[in-house]
Amino acid sequence: MIQINDLEFTYSRKRGLFKGLSLHLEPGSITGLLGKNGAGKTTLLKLMTGLLHSNSGAISVLGHDPKNREVSMLNDVFLVPEEFYFPSITIQEYVKAYAPFYPRFDHPLFAKILEEFELMAENNLQKHSHGQKKKFLIAFALSTRCRLLVLDEPTNGLDIPSKSLFRKILAGSLDEDQLVIISTHQVKDVENLIDKILILDNGKMIFQRNIAEISEKVCFVSGTSADTDGAIYSEAIPGGYRMMMPNGHAETEVDIELLFNAITNGKQIG
Amino acid sequence: MQTNNQFSTERFVALCRQSLIINKKVIWITLGGSSVLLFFLLYFLQASQQFSDWTNVDYSGVFAYLFFPLGILFAGLAFPAFRTKEKSMAYLMLPASRTEKFLFELVTRILLFILIIPPMFWAIANLEGIIVNSFAPELVHYRFSFVEVWQKLTSHGHFGGWTFFAVVQGWLFSLFLFFAGASHFSKMPFRKTWFSMGVLLFGYTMFSIFLGKALDLHGISNIRFFFFKTDNAAIAALSMLITAINLCLLAIAWYRLKEKEA
Repeated sequence: MIQINDLEFTYSRKRGLFKGLSLHLEPGSITGLLGKNGAGKTTLLKLMTGLLHSNSGAISVLGHDPKNREVSMLNDVFLVPEEFYFPSITIQEYVKAYAPFYPRFDHPLFAKILEEFELMAENNLQKHSHGQKKKFLIAFALSTRCRLLVLDEPTNGLDIPSKSLFRKILAGSLDEDQLVIISTHQVKDVENLIDKILILDNGKMIFQRNIAEISEKVCFVSGTSADTDGAIYSEAIPGGYRMMMPNGHAETEVDIELLFNAITNGKQIG
Repeated sequence: MQTNNQFSTERFVALCRQSLIINKKVIWITLGGSSVLLFFLLYFLQASQQFSDWTNVDYSGVFAYLFFPLGILFAGLAFPAFRTKEKSMAYLMLPASRTEKFLFELVTRILLFILIIPPMFWAIANLEGIIVNSFAPELVHYRFSFVEVWQKLTSHGHFGGWTFFAVVQGWLFSLFLFFAGASHFSKMPFRKTWFSMGVLLFGYTMFSIFLGKALDLHGISNIRFFFFKTDNAAIAALSMLITAINLCLLAIAWYRLKEKEA
């Protein structure tokens, strides 16, 4: 579904961002794109959606070169950006204005998600809070049934109940032919949701693994300082240590934050 | 299902419908507000002449003073989505083709302006004329007619053929220039286009002056003698040149839309 080979991108001659970046993603997964601030997560998403043009290398999204922004690609790709703009119209009017551009738009699903997010279709979008606007945009994005959904920091601005609701709705609204890419630095928000992790650091994709693969290789446990000897990576937490260990037998939930810190500190999981 | 990536009438209609839904309030307020303003502007202009000697020529003067600058202003406000990053992203990600987006801007910013404003001016001018005339029947020439204006312009035979074509192309040039400027500049496109145009004109004038001095052309007052045998041939060549520039300006606008990044 997404194939990137030897991507190079610079904002200016002095500031190179990506050099030789490659990536392959298949449909049917929720992929988390993680990286420090300024690592290039948003830039990579913009390159994938054709909002930026690469200097060299090849990008293929749903069989299209995104920089051509062909309609057959655009009507199957939806981007939820971190910052967005809404005209001063009601949710109902917005759907009337924008839904006709998406051939697979699912109106019953939209009504259902709207209800779950407790949003009123008659309300003007400009009168909503940032979090409510974001929930509306997520609802709209999911209802387009686009095969590629790109969510840039989707949980920023959402309150705690909305974050768990977001996870529940996202997990329950996807088809097998869809791919969701979630870019975030709030890794706790996407725990138990993503099934593939990409870590971007210094313009390179330093980690690309499925959650199942990670669980097979390592486990995540808590213990005292005495237990840290065999750990691949450990971090002090109140009352002890959190550790990433080579997997013996235990199957534990992937601690994405610890994994992220381990990988960006140069640790390998084998 | 095969998607037409170039042009689809259905998508173009959806684009128009979308714009109407989003901008309906602004459209009605602008049309209503400008009608009221025009009504009172005509009234005060006539009042300043004590409602006497107001003829079709005066109406057409007001029309020309409003129509041309407003056309430039309106064309300079094209591609409103490019003014902010968030709007640009939403616009570029909208599943409509470049042709549809470009045509939509061209139609709504230039064609519709040309089609809507003259009948609107005609209706308001006549309505205002009728109302004022009912209070001062002997003082105001209240009928405004474009046909009369046209007849007057062409009565001497100087405003036909290439001259008319050159004037139309010249006016379209100013519209297309600001249209292309709106697609090229993201922030303050109107002012930046004026500035760029000023720099170009200044550069051209200085170049012509220095060239004239260098070639010692002071004695030659009519440059057409270099290339053309008649005035008409010079005007024809000039209008063809402006037409070519106009097509280039449209191509620039198209290219900027194609290459736009957010």
